Amino acid sequence: MTTRAEFLARIRAEMGRAPGLFAAEVSVRPTRPRERLALLRRELSERWREDLERFGQEFERVGGVLHRVSAAAQVPDAIARIAAERGARRVVAWHGDALGLDVAAPLAAHGLQASAAPAAEVDADERGRRRALAADADLGVTGVDLAIAETGTLVVVSGAGRPRSASLLPPCHVAVFDRDALVTSLLQAGLALEAWHDGPPPAGRGASINFITGPSRTADIELTLTRGVHGPKEVHAVFVEQGLGPRRG
Amino acid sequence: MVTCLGDMFYPEVGETIVRLLRRLGVAVDFPAGQTCCGLPLFNSGYHADAAAVARRTVALFEAAEAVVVPSGSCAWMVKHEYPGLMTAPADRAAAERLAGRTHELSQFLVKRLGRRQFHSAVGGQLTYHDSCHLLRGLHESESPRALLRDLAGSEFVELPGGDECCGFGGSFAVRLPEVSAAILDKKLTQVEATGADCVVACDAGCLMQMRGGLSRRGSRVRAVHLAEVLGDAR
Amino acid sequence: MSETPPPTPLRERARQALQDTFLHEALTIATTKFIGLRREAFGEFPDGEALRDRARAIKEATLQHLDQHLERLIDNVERRGGQVHYATTPEDACRTVLDIAKRTGARLAVKSKSMATEEIHLNTALQAAGVTPLETDLGEYIIQLAHERPSHIIAPAIHKTKGQVAELFARELGREIEPDPEVLTRIARAELREKFLIADMGISGANFGVADTGTIVLVTNEGNGRMVTSLPRVHVAVMGVEKVIPSMTDLAVFLAILAKSATGQKLSVYTSLVNGPRRGGELEGPEEFHLVLLDNGRIRQIAGPLREALSCLRCGACLNVCPVYRQIGGHAYGYTYPGPIGILLTAMLNGPASVKDLAHASSLCGACADACPVRIDIPRMLIELRRSVVERRIAPWPERVVFGVFGRLLRRPALYRLAARAGRVLQRPFVRRGAIRRLPLFFGGWTRTRDLPPIAARTFQERWAQLAREDHR
Repeated sequence: MTTRAEFLARIRAEMGRAPGLFAAEVSVRPTRPRERLALLRRELSERWREDLERFGQEFERVGGVLHRVSAAAQVPDAIARIAAERGARRVVAWHGDALGLDVAAPLAAHGLQASAAPAAEVDADERGRRRALAADADLGVTGVDLAIAETGTLVVVSGAGRPRSASLLPPCHVAVFDRDALVTSLLQAGLALEAWHDGPPPAGRGASINFITGPSRTADIELTLTRGVHGPKEVHAVFVEQGLGPRRG
Repeated sequence: MVTCLGDMFYPEVGETIVRLLRRLGVAVDFPAGQTCCGLPLFNSGYHADAAAVARRTVALFEAAEAVVVPSGSCAWMVKHEYPGLMTAPADRAAAERLAGRTHELSQFLVKRLGRRQFHSAVGGQLTYHDSCHLLRGLHESESPRALLRDLAGSEFVELPGGDECCGFGGSFAVRLPEVSAAILDKKLTQVEATGADCVVACDAGCLMQMRGGLSRRGSRVRAVHLAEVLGDAR
Repeated sequence: MSETPPPTPLRERARQALQDTFLHEALTIATTKFIGLRREAFGEFPDGEALRDRARAIKEATLQHLDQHLERLIDNVERRGGQVHYATTPEDACRTVLDIAKRTGARLAVKSKSMATEEIHLNTALQAAGVTPLETDLGEYIIQLAHERPSHIIAPAIHKTKGQVAELFARELGREIEPDPEVLTRIARAELREKFLIADMGISGANFGVADTGTIVLVTNEGNGRMVTSLPRVHVAVMGVEKVIPSMTDLAVFLAILAKSATGQKLSVYTSLVNGPRRGGELEGPEEFHLVLLDNGRIRQIAGPLREALSCLRCGACLNVCPVYRQIGGHAYGYTYPGPIGILLTAMLNGPASVKDLAHASSLCGACADACPVRIDIPRMLIELRRSVVERRIAPWPERVVFGVFGRLLRRPALYRLAARAGRVLQRPFVRRGAIRRLPLFFGGWTRTRDLPPIAARTFQERWAQLAREDHR
């Protein structure tokens, strides 16, 4: 089998024979991305209303449903309403620390079977059990790390208390966010990605980042659009005007 | 430059162009010994031969102030590919000079001479097919349209899918004739759907392909070269 | 190393495809729709042209330091706990995946759509080794059931009617199925959901590999990409070496134009960034992450005539606008990759001789180069391939003779004019009512469907003397 050295040697040999087609540069990376991101966030906080409006338009354009509540305390009510409309009973959610609010208890009060992901590492058996729970769930609740206005995209970073399955396995995904998540453009999301990968990953950070732009879809059969192929058939975003509590992760 | 197809099959188009240019006050000469720009050789991969033909052609037109070509594909060949085919620096320089002085007919009329207003020689409704080399090779879609829109005595209607290939592609038409014919069929259906009396093109290859299909279909639509619809200047 | 050439000649395959009326309708509808969606998407995207230029530049700049970027990618993947493997040939790549499967005791592998794995015929190798590969992209699932290969780079089952799909599902599940896309999708969802949850291995491709961070990026719409990279305990990603890009900032440029070019969407539903295996605290994620870097003819092209084709994002935009593809569909090309870029990729993977006919499956109209998000000059490289075929003397000898004669005629004006006169004589028996409607042999291809004008009674050159005199009157 080819080794790393052999493989790269071959590449270098070919490169040596090729002058290149034209002068070209790669993108300039930001030198201190975390600082730049913090600065960007401060700038964006001035225009959150415009970004939210644009986000709403684009999100609905790709089949998402946007809800607005004033305070974090109202989020479980909104989720319960969404659940009731669909006859959903079983809910899996991110851990309260990751969401910025606890939903499991209030949802239980609404008569739903809700479980929140554990905040720390659990053994393989427990992970298996949790996976089955998520596979059986009707609705999954997650937070949002970025909401991109230009494209109507929700960006979620996985990690402890932030399982991937919550936005993937149940047929209905509800994402909870506030103005801090909003960015205007895809290129700004690129800056966030630079910042998030700058330096060693923080404790509890997972290995998966997903940009979610609407419900799962395909047009593979006669180009007829159908939703909910493997991923969720519905995506809801609940915007909390007064903001969520502090979030970890 | 009359082009091989123009010389052999559409000499009347060449004559019309010469007379048209003379009426516009242009002195027209025709260097003897023209054969072909070499595009068919180039497209099929016979580049050594294409280079020899190119060198010959460059020499033939050395003294010309401007070279007018009735086909977009030939004009493209001269302007885009001739310099790259030359290995000797002197040849390359000569080819670049020729490239700078070569114009497809509609470009010459509109951009060089600044003339866009003519009486129509045909009347009725006209539509226009963008030949690929003129459109994508020479980035020219406006000059022919300007001429056609401004024609007094006929009406211009856009052809949906006008920017799609007619299926000629040179030897492609005989290497994969069934595919070429299927592409042509789609084009001609679109042409007929416009209700136009004539479809105008600036390329002998496209004309050969479209005319061949239209006559086989017994269509009342005629495929004509741009020069054939331009009457007297206004 | 190479793919087996198809058993029937290209012209025959094309003829058969042209006779398939459903295929024709499906292709027309699908390609027209894709063209419209792409146009609309770029129409409302004023930065589009500049970003296409940027994307093209990033790809070229990356190639100019490919070794460094790949080394960074490898180091970062390893730093995050992933393992990197190096596959020069398709056999190497398959063997690597099989070794991993064997070592981890994998019996069922779920796959998300990957042209790289199609190219190396991975499914066949897995099957032979007793590992069941299950395609999970709906289009790929359908063609897997049909034992066919994909006919389009992003819509693999575009040639199938919903009736045909229903029949396939019915056969697989042993019951009557309604030919309704919603019903069919729901069935696929249920069938495959089960498998995602029990599969031992997930296999994916990679749209990008970000060197700065060791991140693999998957662009999908259905969610199977997420399943495949999160649920099974082993994830293997097969990635062509040319997919590496330097940074996340570069990634954003490509994301801005990729989905728009492919389907007109601003972004595909899921853009998934994979940073190695599961980290502590996560409920999901593989225990092992493997990246298989694939050569298979790519490295050779760094200094080769097809270098530009290494920029390909596999978006399929060139297929949708190609007048040839739109008539004959993907299977008629006869190899893994169809369409304009497919001809170049076939030459890359199998050598220029493999495309001695395919290189001519093009009218050189240039619509592909126009549509390509990274502005690959496909027609230029098709002509290069044709030249290569001529120079290696593998073009059929009658053609070489004809072009040889033609080339000589064009350099001898006296002979050329003589040939015209001879042609005028020879054509006489074929000219009826001013047109030629039937020609023998080679030229019969034209006259079967089109008339041909006769050589004029007096060519332009023969008229010039008179024309010249006209001016001096």
